Amino acid sequence: MIGPGYQWLAHLRRSPLLLFVLLYTALSGGPFLWVAVMSLRTTPEIFASPYALPSHLHWEKFADAWTRSNYSTYFWNSTIVVVTAVVLLTVIGAMVAHCLARYHFRGNRVARFVILSGLILPPQLLILSLFQILLEFSLYNTLTGLILVYVAGHLAMTVYILEGFFAQIPQDLFDAARLDGYSDLEIFWRITLPIGAPALFTTVTLNFIILWNEFLYAVVLLTEDDKRTLPLGIMHFMGSHQLDIGMLATGLMIAIAPIILLYGFFSETMIKGMTAGAVR
Amino acid sequence: MTGVVPRARPWGRGEAGAEVSARRASLATLFIFLAPALLLYAAFTVYPVLRTFWNSIHTIGPHNVQELVGAANFTQLLTSDRVFWKAVGNTAIFTIIATIADVLGGLLLALCLFSGAPLAKLLRVVWFTPVLMSYVVVGIIWVWIYDYDWGLANFILRSVGLGALEQSWLGDPRTALWSVMATHVWKWLGFNMIVFLAALYALPEEVLGAAELDNCGWIAKLVYVIIPMLRPTIVNLLVLSFVGKMMIFDLVWIMTGGGPLWSTETVSTYVYKRAFDWNTFDLGYPSAIAVLWFIIILVFVFAMTQLLRQRDRLEF
Repeated sequence: MIGPGYQWLAHLRRSPLLLFVLLYTALSGGPFLWVAVMSLRTTPEIFASPYALPSHLHWEKFADAWTRSNYSTYFWNSTIVVVTAVVLLTVIGAMVAHCLARYHFRGNRVARFVILSGLILPPQLLILSLFQILLEFSLYNTLTGLILVYVAGHLAMTVYILEGFFAQIPQDLFDAARLDGYSDLEIFWRITLPIGAPALFTTVTLNFIILWNEFLYAVVLLTEDDKRTLPLGIMHFMGSHQLDIGMLATGLMIAIAPIILLYGFFSETMIKGMTAGAVR
Repeated sequence: MTGVVPRARPWGRGEAGAEVSARRASLATLFIFLAPALLLYAAFTVYPVLRTFWNSIHTIGPHNVQELVGAANFTQLLTSDRVFWKAVGNTAIFTIIATIADVLGGLLLALCLFSGAPLAKLLRVVWFTPVLMSYVVVGIIWVWIYDYDWGLANFILRSVGLGALEQSWLGDPRTALWSVMATHVWKWLGFNMIVFLAALYALPEEVLGAAELDNCGWIAKLVYVIIPMLRPTIVNLLVLSFVGKMMIFDLVWIMTGGGPLWSTETVSTYVYKRAFDWNTFDLGYPSAIAVLWFIIILVFVFAMTQLLRQRDRLEF
């Protein structure tokens, strides 16, 4: 029942909200824009005036950063590790989730407890002995070792999300499939996986983002330069170019840009994936 | 009812049989489905955990030379290790403040969007961006923001005439922990916001509408209607956030390495340093820290869920 004369009052009451929203948007997005701008400027330009817009767009810095450091190696290593780990996690995790959700068998609860107990184990509890164990298995400083550690470490969350979804698939479908003479593997392959696709998609997204960014395991288990994953590579690049802010910004942008690009296309999927364990 | 097989359905018996068999699998099938996971799990999770416990009562030198020391690691840790206690203090401050900031801030942001800020759909996406970035990226950007000479923080202070407040944010032991904490909260606020937003949209509209009809002010509506109904989400996020912060490593390691003067040393960075940076060549002692800290986290999580859930039950 606000008359037109009072409309300005309503606007005034909302203006703190608008101001706050504006400020927080600047705070959450601003730093990335700042790096984007710096990535196109040279270090002397930045030091002369850190917050100016680029006077000349130095795109060549990207090629420079890519070739002068080991960036292509880091990028390639990260890709191998993450893609392999995510594929393994998805297949192995889906098999376990299907088995736990579908079959009644002796030891079901024990198997579930053992695997889901991984949800509460902090990496800090594992990392020191994993260092020893990988040394003994001759897997220290290998991408294979890191992949196996990643798969074991993220299995619990993957199974947790997938099992919740698989358990809701109506049993009738499986009974019908059994009547039609499907084998257990066929049932898994031709019913659970296609119907569970949305959940699989969610865990793939979640694992991909988390593993792409993973730092602690990688820093302990990899030390050779040509084994480094992207986060370690950026740290290393930072150490060796300490004062070359312009080049560092370009290096950072190479790490940020693909994520922003993907996020632009798949924002809802990525938000849903990242929060899958917490939203009920 | 379930025991009756209708005579009019000749395939009834077959169906009952199928129901049983679709829920059953041969040992070989179970083995195929479970073996890869259990094997990996045994080798890279169960075994390391047991080994860490074992290590914690030994001294583990190079080339795996072990010496049983019993509880000596723990007594040293609890009685004479001042760096450890400094790290515990820092981690406790970090955990408590950042957890509260995360949950309150996330709720505030979610309410902003829920109460109809313009462009809510777009803002939600923008505000979530930091969650997707690695700690390395976030850490380096914020080291620059905190830079004394040309960092954004001091630049803003100078340009609004508060130049007297400028700091060497990460270089001063008094501000370093708080600065790292601010960065951590900045990274995770979007996550909490999304979870709250999902919970807010799931609230039954009748209740919110009823509160509106009762001419309930928005603060009263928030305190008496919305927050009680969000309780499960709040508890959930508190626990998640708590666990994450008790183990904080990456951001601290990247931004300050625990310095200056141990002012940002956390339990996890201390474990790492004792294992790989100090020339003590002993994996036993840091394992003891890890074990002790894990037990403390477990106790707290258990206490939190019990405490907060109990009151839930009383309410309904």
